[in-house]
Amino acid sequence: MTDLADRVPLAQQPPKPGSGRVFFGSPVNSAVSVTCLLLIGYVFWHVLDWGVMNAVWTDAGGPEACHASSGACWAIINARWRLILFGLYPFDEHWRSGLACVVVVLTAILSCLPVFWQTVRLATLWVCGFAIFYILMRGGMLGLASVPEEKWGGLSLTVFIFASGVLVGMPVAIGLALLRRSTLPVISRTTGAFIDAVRSLPLVSILFTAAVIFPFVLPPGFQGEKLYRVIVGFALFFAVYQAEIIRGGIQSIPVGQDEAAKALGLSYWQRVRMIILPQAFRYALPPTINQIVTTFKETSLVVIVGFFEIMASGNAAYGTGEWTFAYVEVYAFIAMIYFAFVFTLSRYGAYLERVMRVGQQ
Amino acid sequence: MLKLLRNARFRNWAAQALFLAAVVGVIVFFALTASANMRAQGITAGFGFLFQSTGWDINFSLLPYTPNDPYWKVLVIGMVNTLFLGSISLILATMVGMVVAAARTARNPMLNAIGTIYVDTFRNVPILLQVFFWYAVYTRLPPPRQAYSIFDTVFLSARGLFIPALDVSAIAAVGASLAVIVGLGAALWIAHARRFARKEPSLRRAGWLAVLALSFAVALVILFVGRGEEGAVISVPALKGLNFRGGIAIPPEFAALATSIMIYGGTYIAEVLRAGFLAVSRGQVEAATALGLRPWEVFSRIRLPLAIRMVLPTLINQYVWLLKATTLGIAVGFTDYFMVVAVSITQSGHTIELIALLIAGFLIVNYSLSTILNRINKAVAIKGLSTS
Amino acid sequence: METRQAAIQLSQVNKYYGAYHALNNVDLTIFEGEKVVVCGPSGSGKSTMIRCINRLEEHHGGRIVVLGTELNEDLRNIEEIRRDVGMVFQHFHLFAHMTVLENCILAPMLVRKMTRSDAEAMAMRYLERVRIPEKADKFPGELSGGQQQRVAIARALCMSPKIMLFDEPTSALDPEMISEVLDVMVDLAGEGMTMVCVTHEMGFARKVADRIVFMDRGEIVEENTPDRFFENPVHERSRRFLDQILGH
Repeated sequence: MTDLADRVPLAQQPPKPGSGRVFFGSPVNSAVSVTCLLLIGYVFWHVLDWGVMNAVWTDAGGPEACHASSGACWAIINARWRLILFGLYPFDEHWRSGLACVVVVLTAILSCLPVFWQTVRLATLWVCGFAIFYILMRGGMLGLASVPEEKWGGLSLTVFIFASGVLVGMPVAIGLALLRRSTLPVISRTTGAFIDAVRSLPLVSILFTAAVIFPFVLPPGFQGEKLYRVIVGFALFFAVYQAEIIRGGIQSIPVGQDEAAKALGLSYWQRVRMIILPQAFRYALPPTINQIVTTFKETSLVVIVGFFEIMASGNAAYGTGEWTFAYVEVYAFIAMIYFAFVFTLSRYGAYLERVMRVGQQ
Repeated sequence: MLKLLRNARFRNWAAQALFLAAVVGVIVFFALTASANMRAQGITAGFGFLFQSTGWDINFSLLPYTPNDPYWKVLVIGMVNTLFLGSISLILATMVGMVVAAARTARNPMLNAIGTIYVDTFRNVPILLQVFFWYAVYTRLPPPRQAYSIFDTVFLSARGLFIPALDVSAIAAVGASLAVIVGLGAALWIAHARRFARKEPSLRRAGWLAVLALSFAVALVILFVGRGEEGAVISVPALKGLNFRGGIAIPPEFAALATSIMIYGGTYIAEVLRAGFLAVSRGQVEAATALGLRPWEVFSRIRLPLAIRMVLPTLINQYVWLLKATTLGIAVGFTDYFMVVAVSITQSGHTIELIALLIAGFLIVNYSLSTILNRINKAVAIKGLSTS
Repeated sequence: METRQAAIQLSQVNKYYGAYHALNNVDLTIFEGEKVVVCGPSGSGKSTMIRCINRLEEHHGGRIVVLGTELNEDLRNIEEIRRDVGMVFQHFHLFAHMTVLENCILAPMLVRKMTRSDAEAMAMRYLERVRIPEKADKFPGELSGGQQQRVAIARALCMSPKIMLFDEPTSALDPEMISEVLDVMVDLAGEGMTMVCVTHEMGFARKVADRIVFMDRGEIVEENTPDRFFENPVHERSRRFLDQILGH
């Protein structure tokens, strides 16, 4: 029994689909593929050459060794990593700052496990994680030396502002979303105007306002440290964006779910707690993760209001002394730290989105 | 009484009244505390300071400015700077976005890979970091004495990029550009809008040609009126002393911001455009192919218009969001609206008034931008398709 | 001789959607233990009427009295009525994020304050009655339409309602699944439940209904026993409707 392919001469057979055709199917396509390959190769080779092969890895030779070589000067990282990661935190206590960061990262990883996906458990997890972070950083108890907030800096300050902003902002976001969805026009329109107004403002201006205006409009004694004022501003910004995302999630729930709950006799709060919010969050999860990722990137902006978080400490690391030429390496190092956090978070978000789409009918 | 509490309509009214009272109460409380605090510190409120001269200089302005000018002028200049930086960056970002989106939706996997690498690299690094980086790069260019030059007319140095320019005042240049842009927009509208589809083709062509010619004429008149004193039509930058004179200077602060917004914004715009391309249903593309349209025609007449209409709302959101990135100017010292306000606060002390102006300014700009773009969106949107 | 109690009483009920007059002076009394089938062309107001009974819609004129309690703006009354009236929807509306069992025990626990073990025991009994106990731990998305609707009936029954409202319970089902749901409803009718059913299933109506109510354009046009309604419709409109749906 011969196959059709054997009977038809080769020249007349249609080309078999396969990867070769996609890359080289036509002359134009081939040219493009080859050019791209060359381009990628060229860039990759140069980066490798600069970043690895000719690079100076230790600071034993000081800045002179870096001047002598044509590669990357990773020595500056070697020399200044403590400044970049920990800012002005006291040298002996750096282990606390590092450990505090690890605690927050662990808490975030644990939140990704489905076993924690219940309001009470999630809340407890984060409150505990946060408390441990605060005790480690602040000290003053359990035999740890006290380190006031002004001395916090670097990566742990970035993480602290980020985590507090999200933790404070999330409940506010839920409240704003429910208010905006209210059937009472006065409430929904006022909330809507407020949300839209705050969303029009750049984060920089909100942080600046928080740092500068709050002392004016609060009675003396309530003014709080600049750090906490800025966190409130940050949380507010996160809350208004997240409120819109939650509102979108609520709107995605089929109307009948609420009606069925009403017909069963459940009260408003019971419906919100057990039917509306859980389902809204399921729909809203991918954009929420997106928003969290963006918020993490935006913590960098607090440098503008004078906080010594990782950008400022990075600027300080190369800006002073003998290492002023090595700005590329410092920025690359900080970029890689951000990249690690942000990329992981977004990949996790994409994974969640795929899983949820499979589960929905 | 208890019965009243259980009445649904009563509860609705009471809830709204209480809410309003709470909001008003909070605002009043803040206002009272603020005035008490200000009295304690001896600061007087009021907008009179807007007419006092500032006494400080700014490093980038499209309008003429001296330290003797009043505060309101410096605020206007700040806003103009923001809009100027914003429009240029958004245009650049859109161009980058289109290229990257095309790469990511091409059938060649190599192109896809390049596009994906670009997006993933530049989206995951905060824009502020990119701003700092490019600022460091641009300020480490050689000093003016050793600037790179192309044909001795374009100079690249640590003080900025100098290019030859028409010898007109900046406001005349902006006015002329606006005239040309409006003319182009009107011409495009006449040429493509459905409203004129029934007119004679020659009439239509005459229409948009006339509009275009008129706009160019207006632009030329503006340029003529606003020309500089030296009489030469084009001024070329030349090294005088420590810096260049003549031509237009694009300072490194501006360049750093424009570059970062272009690269970072380009990634987001690319993603939005890509989503639009993917959302065009295969059925429509197949139908077009079955009718005999060639691939380029299918792309330009079916896929592209549909994709743009589908993502226009999202794209508008992205533009509004990106415009806010101009406030990062303060990190490198570019005098955009926010930085002007911030410096004014430190110099004049009128914190609350200036913050109010800051908020009002951004609200107005954002609202106008969204309204205009949403108008365009409504005009071109596909009828019957529900948008998110 | 026992006098029958009125379970639901609608007097001169009106409802407007803007300018559209959806219910026009509707008068209807349903007695305890009665099974009433409401039919009529689409847009006739039948769904609107039964949705007014448990306040999913507000009526604008007239009175509605359910089980002796007047349905008005008093929240206590609304809650009382919703506790004792169960509803089954055309599109089931099972809570997608909860298992079948959780769907059934939610309201008894929250509203009737039952303990979890009591609620679960009761739920399993009802799930057995609707012949679907093995699916207790599945999610609604994993069940067929007919199974979901049976779970929806069990969920409503778990609140031990005195009245059951059905809003076109089989209209969204594939034909082969309609009978499994109708069988459950027939069993329910046999046990003495007061039922108001909006449906096109005339076979079911004939078997079970004590009364048929025909509505058209927001009004009750005709009420009769099933036999008399099907054999001898009085009004022209009823005759036209019967021709349409019985013609296939």
